[in-house]
Order: sequence, then C-alpha cells, then structure tokens
Amino acid sequence: MESKKPLRSAFVDDYVVPGDVILDLADMTNQTIKLGAGLRQDCDTIQVTSAGRLRLSKPNKYWVENSQKRYIPSVEDTVLGIVVDTKPDNFLVDIKGPSLAFLPVLSFEGGTRRNIPKFEIGTLIYARVVKANSIMNPELSCMDAIGKAAEFGQLKNGYTFETSTGLARMLLSSPTCPLLEALGKKLSFEIAVGLNGRVWVNAPSPSNVILVSEAIKQSESFNRMQQRSMVEKLLAKLA
Amino acid sequence: MEKTEGRAEGRKANQLRKYACTRNPLGRAHGSARWEQGDTVVVAAVYGPRPGTRKGENPEKASIEVVWKPMTGQSGRQEKEYEMTLKRTLQSICLLTVHPNTTTSVVLQVMSDDGSLLPCAINASCAALAFAGIPLKHLAVAIGCGVLENGDVILDTSKAEEKQLKSFAHLVFPNSSKSVDLKESQQKDGQSERGLITSITHGVMSEEDYFNCIERGLAASSRISDFLRTTLQKHTPDYL
Repeated sequence: MESKKPLRSAFVDDYVVPGDVILDLADMTNQTIKLGAGLRQDCDTIQVTSAGRLRLSKPNKYWVENSQKRYIPSVEDTVLGIVVDTKPDNFLVDIKGPSLAFLPVLSFEGGTRRNIPKFEIGTLIYARVVKANSIMNPELSCMDAIGKAAEFGQLKNGYTFETSTGLARMLLSSPTCPLLEALGKKLSFEIAVGLNGRVWVNAPSPSNVILVSEAIKQSESFNRMQQRSMVEKLLAKLA
Repeated sequence: MEKTEGRAEGRKANQLRKYACTRNPLGRAHGSARWEQGDTVVVAAVYGPRPGTRKGENPEKASIEVVWKPMTGQSGRQEKEYEMTLKRTLQSICLLTVHPNTTTSVVLQVMSDDGSLLPCAINASCAALAFAGIPLKHLAVAIGCGVLENGDVILDTSKAEEKQLKSFAHLVFPNSSKSVDLKESQQKDGQSERGLITSITHGVMSEEDYFNCIERGLAASSRISDFLRTTLQKHTPDYL
C-alpha cells in the first residue's frame, strides 16, 4: 500500500545546497514528516535553505547538518552565554545567535525575589535553552527540567574561547571524541562546551589550560584520525 | 572587423576565464569568500544575523545592508549603484522572514578589476552568504555577456573588451538545483523556467541580442553553478 510506506528522500547523506528539492509531497498522504534545521516547505515540495549534509533520523525526521560561526537557538540545547545587561526581570545574555537571550532572574534552583544572583556584565553562564522560535528572543534557564541546579549557572575562572558549532557538536559527541580522550589521559582539566560554539576550559596550571585550548582550536581542520596524532605530538613537545 | 576568435588569450566566445573560490579567508567575519574570475578578484564578508534593524527598515523581515569598497579612491556614485543592485539581488535570494528584526551586513572589497566586476561581486557575496549559513531560497550565479558588432555574444568580458563593445549585460540566474523527479518537470523545460534575478545592461542592444545573451548566460550559469556546489562541498570540515 503506497500511502503507508514513508517516502525516503534520495538525497539522504548527500551534500545539498540551497534550492535543492529533496522531497515531493504530492505522492504522500496522511504521513507526518518532521523538518529540522536548514529545510523549509514550499507548497508541495521540501526545499533546502542551507548548504550541508542531509540527514535522516528514522522514521521521519530530516535536517541539514552544517557548521557555522553563528548559532541558531533550538530548545533543549545547552549553551554558554555572556551577560550583557541586567533588567528587573531578566538577564540579557549573548549566545551568538540572531537575537539576545533572556534569562529570568528566578530560574535558578531555590530562586526567589530575595536571593536573586548578582551577575555583572561579562559573566559566563552555562544554561539550557527553554524557548526558541524565530519571532521572540530565546529564553534560557539555569535549572534542569525537574528544577535542580545540575551544573548550570555561573562558570568562574578558567579561559573561554569560541569555536564553530560543528566542532562543539563533535566535542560533545558520545562516545567521547578522540581529542578529549587523548588529552584527558595525560592532563587534568575541566571543560564546558556550549552547543553555540563557546568552550570554557579550567585547569590547576595555566600551561594545561593553554594546551587544551590550543589543541581544540587547531582541530577545526583535522578529522578524527588525525586528531589523536596531533594531540600526541603536542604533548610530546611538552615533555 | 571583430571576430570572436580575436579575443585575448585565444578565448572562444563561450569560454569563461579561470575561476576560483576560497572559503572563509577572513577569520573574524561570520562568513567570507574570495572569488576570482581571471584577474578580477573580489572578497566578500558577511556579518550576521545581528540583532536590531536600522531605522526605516521593516522589522518584520531581516534586513540586508551592503557596503562596497572600491580598490582605490573614495566611494562615489558608481559604488552606491553597485550597493543598491547587490542589496536588491541578495534580498531576493535570502529568506527574510526566518529571522525578523535582524541585520545581515555584506561588505565587499574589490581587490582587482579586469572586467565583469559586478558578476564577480555577486558570486562572491552569494558564496559568502552560503558559508555563513544565512538561509537562502537558492544560490545566485552571475555572468557578464557582451554583444559584438556582428551580433555575436561573448561571455565573461574583460575590461579591455568592455571598453570596445557597444553594449554588454550583467545577468544573474538562480542556480541549477538537484531535485527528485517532480511530475511535471523535464530537464530542458526546467532550465528555461529558472528565470532571471537581476539584469543590468550598458549601452544599446537589440531585443534579439538581449535574448541571445540570456540564453548563452543561462547555459554558462549551470557550469558556474556546479562549480559553486563542489566548492561548498569541498570545504566542509571533516568531522561532519
């Protein structure tokens, strides 16, 4: 029965550019397709709006995977933001997106009007995106879904730098990416990665901080195979 | 008498100069591209989308601002005209309703000018927008065509040729896209339905010559379109 079988695009895992038509909906009836980033519906067709690789997550979610310097907020992402302004109700946080994000002053564990945290301009915050659509400013929260703090909040000391969103996704991939594994075997450090392309590194000694951040910055252009050997070379220079 | 065989470096009428595109040569810009067509080189940088629109722009749509920097001298009327052409062209290929109330700035720097400057700039800015991840309806491919005395059409005019020609046109087409088989479309019909985004003409030419230019330009644009596709693909990082 033709209408029950989900139509799979012929271009899955191919590189697509804006303007490519990946699906024709005229044949399909009563089926739901979920569109992620980089795709839009134009009458009866699904067209690509950003260049990248088309991915399919069964049964019916499509998106275009690409790596950018800017970040497009989406719900349930964990990001690193920098406070740029404080208002009575919200902190205004820059998350490298098209608009500033709001962090309500009460969305911290046990937050009441009496114990509002005092964040100065320039504070680094690890938060979760709660609301994100193209019309409104995105909203963040420093609590997880249950209401616990769960490592969200201000990050003190350490060193922050910016990367592309693709590199941030790779650092957060599971199983642990070879880069962080190789670095973790020899050095001790703590790291926070925001899906918006910001990374925070902290270690007891400054040389560890510099090593880890340089290794990450340089791996923008290496693939997984080369990362391990690059890290080994870097560490050998130190010893 | 001008013969098509008489082009510099033995180029044929339909032959384009060697073109090249570099991805993100500028570290600080959110997306950038350096586009070379022969000796004409333009670097385009894209910053955005940034929050806030300028006064007078519609806040329900994203706005695009273009700054054109000439190779030497200050910006004058010619640069303002290029900026306006580019702004209108880019507005028609960008999806403006995806990020309302934001501004995307495109800055173009002319590195060297050997004819077909506007097409080169349009190609560079389109590539830069694609590298920056700005949502686009489709890519834009630009080409310059000139009309000789005897009515022949030559493509990708150099500066010397532009001075001698009585008329030439800069045309911008949407790119040729991959698509699953739509019921009504066939390859040849699909081509002619692609339409024209922008057309700037200089000098006087007859209707027939103009339509000739469009036809030749369309055929050549699919070559540039394929090149743009491979360039975008070639430079994706390996970890993706």
